[in-house]
Amino acid sequence: MKCPMESRDQQVLLAFSSRKLDAASMSALDSHLEDCLACRQFVQAQGAVWDALDVWEAAPVSADFNRRLYQRLDRPVSWFDRVSGPLQWFGLRRLVPLAASAGVVFMAGLLFQHTAAVPAAPHDTAQMEALQPEQLESALDEMEALSQLSRPVHAETIDSKM
Amino acid sequence: MNERVNRDVGAGVTALDLDAELMLRVKDGDAPSFGVLLEKHRLSVVHFLYRMVQNHAVAEELAQEVFLRVYRSRATYEPTAKFTTWLFRIATHLALNSLRDGKHDRAQERLDDTSSDMPARQVPDVRPSVEQSMVYQSKLDEVRRAVAALPEKQRAAVLMHKYQEMEYTQIAKVLECSESAVKSLLFRAYETLRARLAHMA
Repeated sequence: MKCPMESRDQQVLLAFSSRKLDAASMSALDSHLEDCLACRQFVQAQGAVWDALDVWEAAPVSADFNRRLYQRLDRPVSWFDRVSGPLQWFGLRRLVPLAASAGVVFMAGLLFQHTAAVPAAPHDTAQMEALQPEQLESALDEMEALSQLSRPVHAETIDSKM
Repeated sequence: MNERVNRDVGAGVTALDLDAELMLRVKDGDAPSFGVLLEKHRLSVVHFLYRMVQNHAVAEELAQEVFLRVYRSRATYEPTAKFTTWLFRIATHLALNSLRDGKHDRAQERLDDTSSDMPARQVPDVRPSVEQSMVYQSKLDEVRRAVAALPEKQRAAVLMHKYQEMEYTQIAKVLECSESAVKSLLFRAYETLRARLAHMA
């Protein structure tokens, strides 16, 4: 038999230790172990691990396990569980409240952006502040021209009355 | 029902998977079949979860979640794999998520706490001496620490291999990885455990 340690096939030794080899392989390896110190040491160490793990017995299940389970089965599934249930497979359930908060902040941001985009109502003061001196001068000229135009009209009106 | 199982089962599932047959009955509305599955697998699921998270209360809570999911998924259940593969896949997912969420930290039983809610195991002698109890407790603590120190996937693989006596192929399906990846996980895990526990021989 080829030495599992030399051929770096220690899986065989693990399978031997957990008694998962077929009878023929178990027997062949048994014979090999008599002559091979390295394999024997590996199997002994693995056997020690196996025995140590046997020490760890789990406790009995609580007497009311079934009662609690059936109570939960009878309870209607909450909307949160419906929504977040599938996400738990990916470990994302805890992100649901965070995602909801992010959604609220995002919507608030959109709303704010929309409000800011609407043009502000004209404001007198702002318009005055925006006037350039040339514009002001031109406006005064136009007012003066208008006042000159209004004078003959006024005279005509007086003439017609006369 | 057998005909249905024969018709429905996919590759890799034998018609003799009685659990799958029971689950198909649950799917058809037969609630008592769920009770049979629960009785059959409750202990192994709780024990697996306990050894994963090392907290009895959290393990039971997670086990309840496992069976809740099994029951609530009954309508969409298809026996494409062994029932226990599906069951332990759910359990493993929940355990890994719980470990990552750090839920077990809240109430993790101190490994050196002998007054935990776990009933003390009795050594074979009818009335163990104080010394025997102390030796046993010390060994148990060492084993628990060694297993807890393993990376999560290695831990899950070892627990399924050692305590559930699952084959590499089934562990691979539960962990959704290749068989060679499982061999590698187990080899590294046992290597670590040999270094920590071999002196206990």
